[in-house]
Formats: sequence, structure tokens, C-alpha cells
Amino acid sequence: MSERYDSIVVGGGLLGAALAWMLAREGARVALLERDQLNQHASGQNAGSLHFQLEYRMVEHGWESARTAAEAMPLHLEAAREWAALGDELGESLGVAQQGGFMLAETAEQVEVLRRKTALEQEWGLDVRLLDGEEARRLAPYLSDSVLAAAFCPLEGKADTRIAGPALARGALRLGAEVRTRTEVVDLVPAGSGWAVHAVERSDAGERMLRLEADTVMLAAGVWTTRLGQLLDVSLPTIPLALMMSVSAPTAPFVPHLVQHAGTKLSLKQTGNGTVLIGGGWPARLPLAADGTPELDRRPTLLQSSLVGNAAAAIGVVPRTASLPIVRSWVGTTTVTPDQLPLVGQVPGRPGVFVATGGSAFTLGPSFARSLIALADGRPPGIDLHPYDPARFERLSHARR
Amino acid sequence: MTAAHDLVVVGAGPAGAAAALAAADAGLDVLVVDEQRAAGGQIFRTTPPEFGGRRKLPTGYPWAGELLDRARSHPGIAWRHGATVFGILPVAVDAAAGADASAGPGSAGFDVLTSDPADPARSGRVRARRVLIASGAYDMPVAIPGWTLPGVMMAGAVQGFLKSQRLRVADRVVLAGSHPLLLIVADQLLAAGARIEEVAIARGLPSPVELLRALPAVPGHVRLLGELAGCVLRLLRAGVRISTGTVPTEVLGDGRVQGVRLARADRGWRQTGPARTVDADALVLGYGFHPSTELARQLGCGLDWDSAQGGWIVRHDAQLETTVAGVHVAGEPSGVAGAEQSRAEGELAGLTIAAALGRPVPERALAGARRRIRSASRFSGVVQRMFAPRREALLELATPATEICRCETVTRGTIDGFLDENPFAGTADAVKLACRSGMGPCQGRYCESAVAGLVAKARGTGVGQAGRFAAHIPVKPVPLQAYVALADDPPAL
Amino acid sequence: MPDAEATSGRAARLPSERGEPAEITVDGRPVGCFAGETVATAMLAAGVPAFSHRNGEPRIPLCNMGTCFECGVTVDGVPLTRSCLTTVRDGMRVETSER
Repeated sequence: MSERYDSIVVGGGLLGAALAWMLAREGARVALLERDQLNQHASGQNAGSLHFQLEYRMVEHGWESARTAAEAMPLHLEAAREWAALGDELGESLGVAQQGGFMLAETAEQVEVLRRKTALEQEWGLDVRLLDGEEARRLAPYLSDSVLAAAFCPLEGKADTRIAGPALARGALRLGAEVRTRTEVVDLVPAGSGWAVHAVERSDAGERMLRLEADTVMLAAGVWTTRLGQLLDVSLPTIPLALMMSVSAPTAPFVPHLVQHAGTKLSLKQTGNGTVLIGGGWPARLPLAADGTPELDRRPTLLQSSLVGNAAAAIGVVPRTASLPIVRSWVGTTTVTPDQLPLVGQVPGRPGVFVATGGSAFTLGPSFARSLIALADGRPPGIDLHPYDPARFERLSHARR
Repeated sequence: MTAAHDLVVVGAGPAGAAAALAAADAGLDVLVVDEQRAAGGQIFRTTPPEFGGRRKLPTGYPWAGELLDRARSHPGIAWRHGATVFGILPVAVDAAAGADASAGPGSAGFDVLTSDPADPARSGRVRARRVLIASGAYDMPVAIPGWTLPGVMMAGAVQGFLKSQRLRVADRVVLAGSHPLLLIVADQLLAAGARIEEVAIARGLPSPVELLRALPAVPGHVRLLGELAGCVLRLLRAGVRISTGTVPTEVLGDGRVQGVRLARADRGWRQTGPARTVDADALVLGYGFHPSTELARQLGCGLDWDSAQGGWIVRHDAQLETTVAGVHVAGEPSGVAGAEQSRAEGELAGLTIAAALGRPVPERALAGARRRIRSASRFSGVVQRMFAPRREALLELATPATEICRCETVTRGTIDGFLDENPFAGTADAVKLACRSGMGPCQGRYCESAVAGLVAKARGTGVGQAGRFAAHIPVKPVPLQAYVALADDPPAL
Repeated sequence: MPDAEATSGRAARLPSERGEPAEITVDGRPVGCFAGETVATAMLAAGVPAFSHRNGEPRIPLCNMGTCFECGVTVDGVPLTRSCLTTVRDGMRVETSER
């Protein structure tokens, strides 16, 4: 006997929860399967930045890669609209605040980067403007005198990563979706016109095998996407990127904006409960298996160079952070792809199975979810998904064979 | 490249001091880091040197003075007092010249990250070939209505103020708990001129069977038991009311403690009768201890749930090495067992670390340390069994409005509500992420067991299955600038 | 040697040898104390009703061993400094934390 659903979502992060909620809202019978607890990995551990300007990692490798990265701007603009409306649609707060974000320059070269970056973004229709240091400090008195210029985008802000995913999952639950934690997918096989999902459900009593059937399967599994692709014999290449974040004890509000930097890895913001979140992409060390591949199920190790670098970057532009008591520095493992573009679309050669992951999947999560559901329904997805077609890697791997 | 210490010991209590001494005697270069101003740990806290006067140590541990004196004057031991170890990182194998890349994390040693709360600029890192976690224990929190009011203090806190600061925290005091320390603190408060309004002991009197079982464990610990008996005698002689089978159900007061509600409890510590009010300025809680395991957690060491031994304890082998190679544990983090056993474990850990680093260690010395652990554990085992906290019953003292997480002011109602609305959540960490309980400055030390207890109750599992909070760097909050201080070469010590 | 300061309801120094008299300020007000005392001892003996606030609620030391952080105060500009682990220094500026 197996249980039958319209759609099965694999992965209980923000994207999976958004998929389950949106599917359930359309009346679908949905099951969400999560091997751990909801929201425990990248979705709950990232900084929750809603950033739409090009990031440091996109501009640090030269102008060509910045131009390529800018092609994702429509997705970002769509995401900005999506986040602004999501809480109201759900009827629960997601901790979204869009009070604007800065990207800062402290050297003449960085000012030049900002100038070109701002012009490029404006071409793509992003509301962003370049300010000099004085203008920036008038808007943000917490900035140090070393700030020479700042690009300001009023759309930017933050969502609360602690609550956004679970809130969407609760929304799905209210609409009749099933949410099963400690349930790991171990096989995906065609069954009739749909798919059979084999999963292990773990409890204190032991393990139980489940067989669930659905017309469509949505893979929302972040770094575990590649493993799921292997179950389908399809190449869905992802690269885990272990990144460090730090959070302070609550302090009186003084940073209403998102703060990023054009010349170093930095993101800084203050949450609704007064804590200051500091990150920006400083790496941590992933544990490696004997064969050199990263072990995703073990905790990454912090690097001292990252602790030093991130702290210095933050104190440099927001001097008040020097004495802020830091309560936690932790590592979240985010997912990127070999060409830095997300994977969004149907899994090649596996009709009925869809996937999304890779690159800003928190910021873009709600947009990814809406696009996948449209694709599954045979509707146009609203944005051009061709650059993100998962088949691009399948073609490469076939060419190699 | 800075020279590494052979061994960095975290904690200067009986375990840490004994380990440092044994290791240094065997020829190791040892650094001890401790948050207090002087060696001795919580149990041997004494007045600061500025006060003058003679050192006073508890009478139950005749070896303490000599241990501390020998350790302090040993040329092979460096001391860093007033410093917090806020994290330990294995040195990257590829970053350490000549290290064996196949030997795994820790084979190239560890960077011990320290901060000096009084002078953040003095923060830095120290390299160690091996580390010993001897970080002791802290008083077990018990969330009861009103326990956040100023005037509610832990037994260890009150005793610390008396012993090391000659400060009586209040005039009129109620003490509630189940651990023998409670009676010692009551006696000390009495001697300090406080009025002991009542001592409420959760358990009943020991049954004849329990006493019979306890007898074989007594030899060698007569002084300790004698001290305890003396406390009870003096309290009774002073007319102090000692109520057994009694639990506190609420702390009353506006802005500070003004009274405590006490009620009868059954053998399982569950309230049976109506509560009565006792006027008081302070409530002292003493239900036992939780081991300080945060560094072991942060390092990724395995832990096991053992309620009688204090909750989550660090898994270790017969050599007291944890599941992370090169990281050892001694004293309360290996299971709360008191000063006697801590000292013996410290000694064994110090010796085995010295042997592992190639120093000659006589088998006789190892055997002696093992014998002392066995002997001490017979006594501590009995104490653990007799005074094991009834955690489920204590948890029921919390009402929906009671704050479980003191830092983030998260109530039991909030946590129970979250568990109701989110049937897919089933771990302490899931509650932490969603409710913020455990995210504040104490990093969950004072709410973890209650949060896990609520999860276990809601999901029908055990507290151990509900899991524990992950620990991260910094294991105690440090100013952001302490991170920048890690950039320089470790300061010479 | 100071006498026990038996004031109703408040912490009191016991008759004992102490260090040299010193003075710190707490929220700008002078607080007399003795060398060797912790900031927590000085503040408790002076009857400071709240070391910190959590969500508006007053808090004073709970553990006195550096684990609970309820005694956290700002010492000479450094926030969340544990007063139970900090020894007084003449002229030290202490601010209780509001939240």
C-alpha cells in the first residue's frame, strides 16, 4: 500500500515550505518530506538578507562576471515584489523589513566599482542611486568617516530566517498539507504516470520504510540536490559553500538598513529584536571524506582568518560594532552551481520532477517556488528560466561521456 | 610560528589543577586558563589577596591545600587567570608544517581562543598539542513562577559570595532544593547572621534500604558526611524549619523577592497539597548541577544524556579522551561526581596525556589514579542515586506564564504553543531556532533542560531524544574586537 | 574593619578584613567599596536594585560564576561585562544595562 499525493516536496527549508504552501493553496494534496527538522540548514542559518544589488562576490572577479550576474536581475526584481506581499498573503509575519540597503566604498577603486555597478543595475531597472560619503552618513549616521561613497537601494532589507520557513510550513499545514520531518528520501522511481518516492521515516522507536506516490516531485534540497539527482541518474551539480555568520546580543536599534561592501565580504544588519547580524560570505572549512568530497552531514569548522576578516570589515565601516558582545558565530552551508547561476526547472528527461537551488535561494526562494509551480502546471513561469535550465549540465555530462 | 604548549587545561578546579600537576610532574609544559582570579574552582574559592587573612578551605578535602600550592608553584605550569576560553579550533592539518594529513582533525594541535573580559585587547589565541576540558559545573536551573525576580539565586552563587567576598546576599532566606549543598549553604548563611526562614527539601527522608545501600560507599568520605551532619545539627539547634517532601511553587514580589510559596510534594516531587506563603528576601535554589560541556560541544565531541550525572555529559574512553582525538575531559563534564572524583580524574588525564606525548609515566601512577577514581565513584554513585533530580516533576512547577528562557524572556506557554502548532518540530534546537529560547547571552545553559523536557513531554519521547542545543564560538559572549585580536601571533605567555 | 551592614532586605558585608577603600560609579552615582571586591559585590552591598533588564524586568546576579550573564553591566564602555568576575578598580565606570 502506498500513499497518494498530487505533489511531494523534498526538503524543508524556505523553498520547500513555500512550495508546499503555494501548492496547497491551489488545492493540491501535498506532502513535504524533510530528513532533519524544518529550517535547520541553509534556510534557517543564512543572514536573511533581501539584497538586490550585485554582491561583492559578483563584482570581485571582474566586469565580465558582473555583467553575467546582472542577467539575474529580473529574478531579483520579481523577488523584491514577492517578499513585500508574502506575509500578507500568508497571514503571518515573516519578519520582512525593506528599509533600504547600502553597498559601501572605502577606496577610490571601490567608488569606481560602485559607479559602474550602479549604472549597470539601473539599466536593468533596479532602483539604486550613488551617494557620496556625507550623503550616506546623513542617512546612516552609524557609518564611519572612512566611507567615501555608497550605493543605496531602497528595496533592500531583510526577512527573519528563524520564522519565515516555519511560518510557510504552518500555512501549508493549515491548508491540509502533510509535513513529515525525520523522513529521508532514499529512492525515486517512475510509477504509472507519476513517481514513487521511497523514504525512511525515523523515530525513537526505529526506522520505517514509506512508499509515497505523486504526480509531481519538487526537489528543494539545497546541498543535497546532487544526491537526489543521483537517485534519478541525472547530473544536478551543486557545490556546497560553508559560510560564517555572527550575531550579537540585543542592543538598542541603530542600524535600520542592510549594509554591504564593494571591496570586502560584509553584510551587516540589525534584526527586529535588536541583535546585529554580521556575515557576508566568509568561508568555513567543510569536513572532507577520505575521497576528498565534502561531508555534508558533519559540522563545518570555523576559520580564524574568517573570524578576523569579518570582524575587521564590520568594525571598519560601523565602528560601534567593536564593543558589541557576539553571542554566536555559526556556519551555514549554502549551495552554488558550477556556473554560479541557479538551477530552476524540470529535471532533464524526468517529466514530473522539478528542481530549484543554487545562489541566493533564500532571497529568491518564493520566486523559485512560484516559477516551478507554473512550470508543473504547464503555465508560463513569468520570468525567463532558460538560463537556469538544469539540462545545461546534463548536456555537458553527456558530451563528456 | 609560536611555540605550542604541550597541554592547555581549561579550568583550575580540582580536576584542572590535579591534571596540570600530574602532567607537569611528568615533564609537560602546561598552561591553565581559568575565569576566576585564583586556582581552586568553585569548591575552593577563597577571599582575594587584597582582603589579607588566611586561606580557608572546606574541611572535607584534606588534600586541597597541598594540591593547589604545589600546582601554583610548579615551574612547568603557567597560569592565565581572569581569562575566558571562548572557543577551541583544531589547527588545519595543511596549515601545520610536518603534520600527518591522514591523522585527522586535532593531529596538528589546537588553537585555544581566549578573551580577557577586563581587557578585551588582551584577547588572543594559544596553541596546544592537547587540550583538557575541566570546566566544572553550574547550578541546575529550575524554572518556577517568579524565578527571574531579583533575590532568587543559585546555591553556588550564595556560597561563592560568602566564601570569596564575605557577603551575605540577604537577611531572610528560604532555601529550596534537593542537593546536600543546600544544607551546607543554609548552615553557612546561618553562621553569617542570616535568618533561615525555611529549608524545603524536595525528597523525603532516605528509606532504610537507601541507607543500607549507601553504607559501603562511605569509607573514605566520613569527613564529608560528618560535615553534612554537623550542618543539619546546627540548623536544627537554631530552630530552623527543615521541611522534607516540599517544593517551591511560586516566588512572590514586586521588583524583588518578598515571599516564597511552598507546598507538600509526593515521593515523585509532584505537588500534592495547597501552597503556603513564607516571607523572605531571597530564595536559594539547589537541585544539583549541570556539567559545563559547551567547549566539548563546540569541538564536536560526542555527548550522552545521563540525568543522574547531571544531564549531558562528555563521552570518553578509559583514558578520559573524548571522541575528538587530542581532546580530553576530567571532572564534572565527564559526569557530575564531586571534588574527590574530579581530582582523581584530573590526575589520570594528566598522566595519560603525558604518556601519549611520549613522557615516561610509571604504570604504578596510572593504577593509583584509576584506583582513586573507582573509590570516589562508589561514593559519588550513591550521592547521584539518592539525590537524582526528578526532572519531569520539577518541570511541572513552571506554569504557562513562567519564563523558561530568562535571557530572551520566552515563557513555557510560548514553547508549548509552538509545539502544538508545529507538530513537525521535535528537537530542542528546532524550538530554539523558532522561539529564541537559548539564543541569549547565557546561550541556553539555563533553559536547555527545560526546553528539551517540554519537547519530550509534547512528543512522548525522552529528554535525551529531544536533543541538546548546539554550541558555537564564542561559547561565552565576547566583544567583536576580540575576534580581531586573533589576527596577531599568539601573545607570549 | 567594616561592620556588617545589616540593612533590611539587602545584601550585607560580613565583618572581615577587606582591601583598601575604593570608589566606583554606577550609572553616575558613587558607590563605595573595597579593593578585592567584585563589581557584583559592590553593587549588591550598595543595594542596586537591577544590574540588567530583560524585556524591562530587573535582574541581579543568579549564578555568581560567570555562566548566567544576568549580572552583565557596561564597565568602562564594554557592554555585557560580567560583574561577578570583574574586580573593582578605583574610578571604574559601571552602567547597568537597559533593555
